[in-house]
Amino acid sequence: MSMDASTERKLLEHARVVSNERVAEGVGLIVLESPRVAHAVKPGQFVHLRIEQGASFLLRRPFSIHRVVGDRLQILYQVLGEGTRALAGKERGAEMDLIGPLGTGWFVPEGTAHALLVAGGLGAAPLGMLVEALALRGIAVTVAQGAPTTERLVARELFEATARRVEISTDDGSAGERGFVTALVERLIAADRPDVVYVCGPEAMTRIVARQALAAGVACQVSLERLMACGIGACLSCVVATVDGQKRACVDGPAFDAADVLWDASEIPPKH
Amino acid sequence: MTIEGSDINVDMRVRLGTLEFRNPVVTASGTFASGREYADFVDLSRLGAVVTKGVSLNAWPGNPSPRIAETASGMLNSIGLQNPGVEAFCEKDLPWLAQYDVPVIVNVSGHSVAEYVAVAARLEQDLTVDALEVNISCPNVDEGGMAFGTTCVAAAEVTRAVRAVTVKPLIVKLSPNVTDITEIARAVEAEGADAVSLINTLLGMAIDTDTWRPKLARGVGGLSGPAIKPVAVRMVWQVASAVSIPIIGMGGIMTAEDAVEFMLAGASAVAVGTGNFVDPTTTMRVVDGLEAYCRGRGISAVKDLIGAVKF
Repeated sequence: MSMDASTERKLLEHARVVSNERVAEGVGLIVLESPRVAHAVKPGQFVHLRIEQGASFLLRRPFSIHRVVGDRLQILYQVLGEGTRALAGKERGAEMDLIGPLGTGWFVPEGTAHALLVAGGLGAAPLGMLVEALALRGIAVTVAQGAPTTERLVARELFEATARRVEISTDDGSAGERGFVTALVERLIAADRPDVVYVCGPEAMTRIVARQALAAGVACQVSLERLMACGIGACLSCVVATVDGQKRACVDGPAFDAADVLWDASEIPPKH
Repeated sequence: MTIEGSDINVDMRVRLGTLEFRNPVVTASGTFASGREYADFVDLSRLGAVVTKGVSLNAWPGNPSPRIAETASGMLNSIGLQNPGVEAFCEKDLPWLAQYDVPVIVNVSGHSVAEYVAVAARLEQDLTVDALEVNISCPNVDEGGMAFGTTCVAAAEVTRAVRAVTVKPLIVKLSPNVTDITEIARAVEAEGADAVSLINTLLGMAIDTDTWRPKLARGVGGLSGPAIKPVAVRMVWQVASAVSIPIIGMGGIMTAEDAVEFMLAGASAVAVGTGNFVDPTTTMRVVDGLEAYCRGRGISAVKDLIGAVKF
């Protein structure tokens, strides 16, 4: 199943806030009524959200779509800077325009019977739609989820309700195994031999998981975060170095085949 | 909208030398690629012209990342003119643009006078290219780029050399990172430039106070967006008083009123740059808003705004 969206029309839609709540320290879940995008978006794609108009910060912010329910988009976000602080202040009924669906989304190789999803912190965001789509297709899904604390295991309930198996690690040992998720991943790859590994999380973690999967001969896709201005492929801000040259995270990604990424030539993105 | 003005048909056409645009709104180089990325949002046939991303002789990889940083009412970029080279551009982008009824202005970049000339000579053979915009003002490349736009001698040399190989209209894009932009404008006018476009980005810098590192991998980059608009309007006004060739004005245009300011200052056309990133439909909003502005004031031709600032 190709989830390639490159030939699909990009939409500009005025979205309305249905709800916006804190789900963990510094993490929010905003639900937007955005029917046209909601019906078009595929797992791993994102929207480029104009949080304020006329504010001192100009640029849109890219957010993965976590889930779609009917006409509504669910977006998980971490409050990191001016833009996400303003987003956290949005109340029910507020309007924002967004562009979407953007990016290629995840790719499911032919014959996939078992997938391992690796979520680090907010990396759970673009894996929500994926776990649902894979389960619907009868693909066995294992989720390895890591976070600093129990509270920060965002989307844990969704994973536990949808995946065949969920393995947890926390930095402080408050849930699951104490330590980093990469230790879980090492064991799960060796024991289960998944057909494909999907990864999203802090880039340092993503790199390690990509190396673990590729070393075991398992296909691996990574969702990469880059600073971007336009979100539609024009500005060349969000480039990722690959074996096929510079690729744009916004239209050629954000999901990339881990084997194609030239990690040493790629940026570890700064906070924003 | 006034009652007296409400019925008039506004003549939106503007002329830059031999170039005629259906309206004054064009795209700023580097913010619109070659237009394909905006096709879902913009009817290219409704633009005054498309100004493409800069092209060089051979492919340029661009600068390391991070390449952008947001700043108050603006952004810094150091993309570094990443482009596939003029051959790939002529093969892939020009045929796509040719399907639209819109003038195509190709932005020409180079590390040396010889490279500018080689690119211009290649583009001269392509009938899809309506004009060249010579970029002597990019602050994000080490050799060439802005170095050619900050002295009269170098600016004149590039203009003269490109003029010798093209009969197409020649626009020179000026840098604001100079003491007196009117001297540079006069120098390129004297060497046969048919128009000037200004301003390119202002050289800037931002530093992360957590890491103490520059926010751009290259350290410095070009500032764009509404933050630079007053500087750009001032420079357009100064250059309009100094030269007799037409001006394409740009720098932070987000609305029709911004465009009106540039035209009153003396611009014959205006370019939307960073505004395309913020809202991909900005060019269309500016076109429609400019027409509404004129109609509402009983102005029958948009060109009547050019240089009409009152003191």
